[in-house]
Amino acid sequence: MAKLYVQAVPTTDLNRNTEWFTYPGVWTIYILILFFSWLVVLSVFGCSPGMAWTIVHLSHFVVTYQFFHWKKGTPFAEDQGVYNRLTWWEQIENGKQLTRNRKFLTVVPVVLYLIASHTTDYQHPMLFFNTLAVFILVVAKFPHMHKVRIFGINADQ
Amino acid sequence: MRARGSSCRRPEHKSTDLSLEQRFIDSVSSGGTDLGRAKFQRTPASQSPAFSLLNRDLSRGSSNPLLLRHLNQTLAAGRSEMITIPYLTALTTYFSYGLLFVFGQLRDFFRKIIDWWSHSSLQGYAPICLGLEDFYIRRLYLRIQDCFNRPISSPPDSWFDVVERVSKDNNKTLQRTKNVSRCLNLGSYNYLGFAAADEYCTPRVIESLKRFSPSTCSTRVDGGTTTLHTKLEQCVARFVGKPASVVFGMGYVTNSAILPVLIGKGGLIISDSLNHNSIVNGARGSGATVRVFQHNTPSHLEKVLREQIADGQPRTHRPWKKIFVLVEGIYSMEGELCKLPEIVAVCKKYKAYVYLDEAHSIGRQPFCPSPLCELLGVDTADVDVMMGTFTKSFGSCGGYIAGSEELIQYLKYACPAHLYATSISPPAAQQIISSIEVILGEDGSSRGARKIARIRENSNFFRSELQKMGFEVLGDNDSPVMPVMLYNPSKIPAFSRECLKRNVAVVTVAFPATPLLLARARICISAAHTREDLVKALEVISSVGDLVGSRVAKFSHMAFRG
Repeated sequence: MAKLYVQAVPTTDLNRNTEWFTYPGVWTIYILILFFSWLVVLSVFGCSPGMAWTIVHLSHFVVTYQFFHWKKGTPFAEDQGVYNRLTWWEQIENGKQLTRNRKFLTVVPVVLYLIASHTTDYQHPMLFFNTLAVFILVVAKFPHMHKVRIFGINADQ
Repeated sequence: MRARGSSCRRPEHKSTDLSLEQRFIDSVSSGGTDLGRAKFQRTPASQSPAFSLLNRDLSRGSSNPLLLRHLNQTLAAGRSEMITIPYLTALTTYFSYGLLFVFGQLRDFFRKIIDWWSHSSLQGYAPICLGLEDFYIRRLYLRIQDCFNRPISSPPDSWFDVVERVSKDNNKTLQRTKNVSRCLNLGSYNYLGFAAADEYCTPRVIESLKRFSPSTCSTRVDGGTTTLHTKLEQCVARFVGKPASVVFGMGYVTNSAILPVLIGKGGLIISDSLNHNSIVNGARGSGATVRVFQHNTPSHLEKVLREQIADGQPRTHRPWKKIFVLVEGIYSMEGELCKLPEIVAVCKKYKAYVYLDEAHSIGRQPFCPSPLCELLGVDTADVDVMMGTFTKSFGSCGGYIAGSEELIQYLKYACPAHLYATSISPPAAQQIISSIEVILGEDGSSRGARKIARIRENSNFFRSELQKMGFEVLGDNDSPVMPVMLYNPSKIPAFSRECLKRNVAVVTVAFPATPLLLARARICISAAHTREDLVKALEVISSVGDLVGSRVAKFSHMAFRG
């Protein structure tokens, strides 16, 4: 550890669901969890490294799509439902687009895609699924897609 | 959390051999009365912002330790508050929360599958609560439910009886047993020790109970204003240093019912990011536009004010109807004081009203008027609306608002808590009056002054001992609220349960009441704690801290507290 202590300016975000993302250490732990899960997949399934990266990439797609772009609202009742129409991605940093955190979160699936495709040598069934996953994830994170519900999918009742 | 000032800047802890009263009298005679005189001199806003007031007191040789330390802070380069956390702890805390979240989601997923097969009892009605909003309660809070909501069966004095509870279904429900354990109370807001029977207050309270009965059974305007209520309002106004005040039956309601009356749609509210839930709810309920400034950072407040005034109302860009800035005197989760002089100076510059919530800071100095303003060198006429509660230092219930005569008159006509809510219970009102008399010394003894000196003594002793043991403790010196940082979510129930086993009751707080990384155990010291109580508490906390592994602050923080 280069620095034993870290300092961070306290945030003014009142939304408890998203303010934790601005504190230090989040990016590091995200990357470490991905790497750790690749090791776990390798040990459990005993497959090739490329296959393991594909599995990590696809499960990362499922998990992040579900929690960032599908589930709406917050897991607590204290904010009285003001965020009930917004997904987590739309809630972070009060809806401001193209911040550092958002850019980081857009880059991670792309990097994972590149690693997965490279280690599987761009072979066919995996390449198709990986490409589909990264396409959906990156399009969902575009600034123009803020509060857009295509064909009414995931719109409110 | 912030870095603390190094030990060379704490001259007040040197002499521990002087008796309490002697030291208190010293501080009163050298610092106190000077401050008292300084307060009554009205300083025109243009000539003297907060700094010159403070400078004048400093030149008079004020030995008030809190004022000195605050001076050091303000005269230093204005650094905003920083959070300091060990990096590895941050990573492991995120991982722990992630793991808890994942397990909760998995359980919810399986529950959904099982429920899909079973018959729904709703029969066409919409569910009152969607599964999403109470996810935190069901999957995280209920697991450690036995650490919160513990029932007690005695007055919350320095030692009290905690009822034991058992659970047969892994903490989903808890049943009370007949067993009771006598525990040291480190969680109640009993700052001056008025929570238990008091030799001056209790006889008078019982007398008023017999005379006026437990409830007025009416609202203030209908028939619920007794002579006690009028006397209480005058007493409170005098104590706080404002011309008039109005009193309500509940502290939370005071904030959430007054803010919608003071400001409405078209107004701007700027509130501190760590304000209490009652203030947040009142601000939300008022309909005004709410903006937040970084905790205790007057420079950020100025930035937000400038931006918002230049922008105007959203969409129409018309000028704001009025602007209120909401701050608290002492923040109950941090234990630190507000930077009131700078904030008042900024608000005066931009013509914004200041609303000060003194719930935790009222009642701990024996001078009239408002102790916090006194302490920080702010003229009470500069703070427009002062709010406080009687739960913390006076051992009662209820809240008050103090301000100018016209403001209070208007509130009495317009505030729904005054027009429709039952007035404060007469024995509770009498308790407040009696405790104010004790604090001011009007009961003929010096018990009030001794209580105040004792709580300051106790707080400083406890805080310095905890820091020497290596715990990360927040809060300013002289503040009786000391949060001990735990960070990791698993340490919260461990700390709480282990302390309870050793007969010490602490209050632990976690996300979402605090930021995600900064879970803590909040210790509240009282004037009723004796030195032996504190020593026992320190021993217990030390052994539990070793067990739980929360002694993270191995080095004293050399960075200047900004």
